[in-house]
Amino acid sequence: MADSIQSLKDVVLDFDIDRAEEVARNAIDSGTDPLLAAAALTDAIRQVGDAFGKGDLFLPDLVCASEVLKKAFPIVNDAIEKKGATQESLGKVVIGTVFGDIHSIGKGMVSTLLYAAGFKVIDLGINVKGEDFLKAVKDENANVLAMSALLTTTAMEQKKVIEGLKEAGIRDRVKVVVGGSPINQEFADSIGADGYGSTAPEGVKVVKRLLGIKD
Amino acid sequence: MRKGFTRKFEPLRVLSDSQVETIHKRTLEVLAEVGCKFESVRALELLKKNGCRIDLEQRLAYFPPDLVESSIRMCPSSFLVKSRDPKDNLLIGGNTLYFMSSLGARLSDIETGMVRVPTMEENNQAIFISDALDSIDLYSGYTPYFEIEGVEPVMLCSTSLAMRIRNSTKITRGTQPTDTFIWETLIAQAAGQELIGNMEAAAPLSYPEDAINAAYTYVEAGFPVYIAAGSVMGGTAPVTVAGSTISNNAELLAAIVFIQCIRPGTGIIANDCVFPMNMESGDLFFCSLGSSLHQMAFNQIWHDLYRIPTNNTGSAFPNSKKADYQSAYEKTHVAMASALSGANMIVFHGGVTAELSYNPVLAIIDDDIAMTIGKTIEGFEVSEDTMAVDIIKDVGTVPGTFLNKTHTREWWKKEYFLPKSADRLSYPEWLNSGHKGAIDKARERMEHILATHKVKPLSSDTDRELDKILNDARKYYRDKGLL
Ligand code: B12
Repeated sequence: MADSIQSLKDVVLDFDIDRAEEVARNAIDSGTDPLLAAAALTDAIRQVGDAFGKGDLFLPDLVCASEVLKKAFPIVNDAIEKKGATQESLGKVVIGTVFGDIHSIGKGMVSTLLYAAGFKVIDLGINVKGEDFLKAVKDENANVLAMSALLTTTAMEQKKVIEGLKEAGIRDRVKVVVGGSPINQEFADSIGADGYGSTAPEGVKVVKRLLGIKD
Repeated sequence: MRKGFTRKFEPLRVLSDSQVETIHKRTLEVLAEVGCKFESVRALELLKKNGCRIDLEQRLAYFPPDLVESSIRMCPSSFLVKSRDPKDNLLIGGNTLYFMSSLGARLSDIETGMVRVPTMEENNQAIFISDALDSIDLYSGYTPYFEIEGVEPVMLCSTSLAMRIRNSTKITRGTQPTDTFIWETLIAQAAGQELIGNMEAAAPLSYPEDAINAAYTYVEAGFPVYIAAGSVMGGTAPVTVAGSTISNNAELLAAIVFIQCIRPGTGIIANDCVFPMNMESGDLFFCSLGSSLHQMAFNQIWHDLYRIPTNNTGSAFPNSKKADYQSAYEKTHVAMASALSGANMIVFHGGVTAELSYNPVLAIIDDDIAMTIGKTIEGFEVSEDTMAVDIIKDVGTVPGTFLNKTHTREWWKKEYFLPKSADRLSYPEWLNSGHKGAIDKARERMEHILATHKVKPLSSDTDRELDKILNDARKYYRDKGLL
């Protein structure tokens, strides 16, 4: 079992996307406690996330390690559910680039870093309509809604979504975080967002702070 | 007609003929097998009618190689774009190099690099200065700023175009977001001027609806179209130069098929703006080695094989935040490689802070750099007169001199280029004249331009017409709930 735990960590630390499913399946089939398997995967991705933060690893490393997790995790999760247990995450984040805006790179980084930090991330992609944000927040019972806007013409979409949350009576249920190059703290305050991050790593810190999670 | 610069020697080639052929074949393979997304049923139907296989649900068009190749042949290798003042007409293509002014979202402080939203007056002044700079032949879309105090974001592109036309007679490119092409087309037509249209992909291999609608509007107005795919190596394109050349060319060729289906013979300018991703932050390395090599390959393929005019954006936006040594070298090495490899247009003047800002003083310094690069590709004359063998014989050995020869007096002015903002004083002269550097001298030149330059004004009727179009635009956006 110790071997399986180590190979789960290794498959992440080796960025070995091709072997991710096989290693996860072997671990579960050989009787590894799925909760320990999940912990191994999360430990490893945090290690990668930290190394990225320090500048020892780079974006493709972080994204490929996340891909390993995306392949391995569902297998481990199935086993957890079969046992009747639940896997804790730091919280659920719905994220997307607002309607009219197709800039995806910054949003993708925030999404990956949140995932690597241990959040469950529901990434709605780009050009996301207000109603789709609201639906996802409701359906997923999300703790955080994170929106990205790169254009001055689309920055106001974030305000529309926040107003939609109010109208739907769910504004209090979710923390709203905004970002993107035309956004600053002042703008975030003016549209009634709970937080703003000027970079992806800062965004993760803000989300953690808003949910009362220690760094 | 603007002369720009004429390249007098063969362009620099970075690929062998067989590499060009292979890259082209593999590009056709991508277009046939992966296809390209067009977020418009109207466009997909048109492509289908012309021989593409389409998947309406996925919004995909698959391109038969024959159709791509015949569409390439429909594009003119050179074409005229008319200004409201014929002296600023452009003949795009062939061996001609034009420089396009760069842009930035906001105004950068030339000393500190800090960025702020400019006023309308600052916006107009920057255009007026660009009108006076000899090496600027045309403007990008929304030049110089994407944000202007008091202008609602959705009105920016159309207002900015009206201000460019009022403060300059040089040709300009249109833009595509939020239906702005409707108003930009009307504004240009009211001023009696042609626009260079715009159709910009969202890599990988997709055209959003506004890009497609913009193409329809511009092509139907009879304007040529500037096509771009703006991909990020490692993000929206393969990280390698060869791979991103294939994906970028596939995106642009899909646009060419589409545009030639709307109106065969439409003039095309193919833009290369492919940049490596900064793997630490996700930002872009604009004026970098990767984009430079990419552009050299691009110019070769589009010049030699497709015979379609090219534009290069690689030198438009240094990552430096200041008008400093870094911003100068970042821009210059990329633009020089572009020019040597046969680009027909280079985006260059005034941009800084990775596309986030612009400054007119910097544009003035860039005028000197662009002139140097342009004059480089014009080469030099080799003739009986310039070889000067008779004079060499006449001067003989030491203590002979060339300074007292009419040949020297006549030729130095023809062959030298004297940058207007460069400090070329001796050290003692420099000490005695206020320790001025290029930025100080560019500022002085700016004052001079502001005091002396003249732009042919619009007639008051036309001026009122532009205001009316802008008001119609405002009403249109208000009705749409965007204002
Ligand atoms: C790449 C790019 C594109 C690509 C996008 C490709 C893609 N798949 O994303 C393409 C070519 C498609 C594009 C198109 C356009 N673009 Co563009 N684009 C850029 C560019 C060069 C880089 C953006 C980027 O990806 N940066 C790298 C990432 C990592 O940075 P980032 O997005 O800022 O994200 C960081 C932070 O902001 C933060 N963050 C981002 N989101 C969030 C969210 C949260 C919750 C948090 C906490 C943090 C956070 O974290 C990130 C990492 O640290 C910028 C210029 C620039 N230097 O920013 C212009 C820019 C954003 N674009 C601009 C414009 C105008 C356009 C177009 C309208 C141009 C046109 N010709 O039509 C179209 C609009 C299309 C549309 N409808 O959206 C302008 C916007 C100006 C303004 N003030 O509004 C800019 C600033 C360029 C300029 N000076 O004109 N663009």
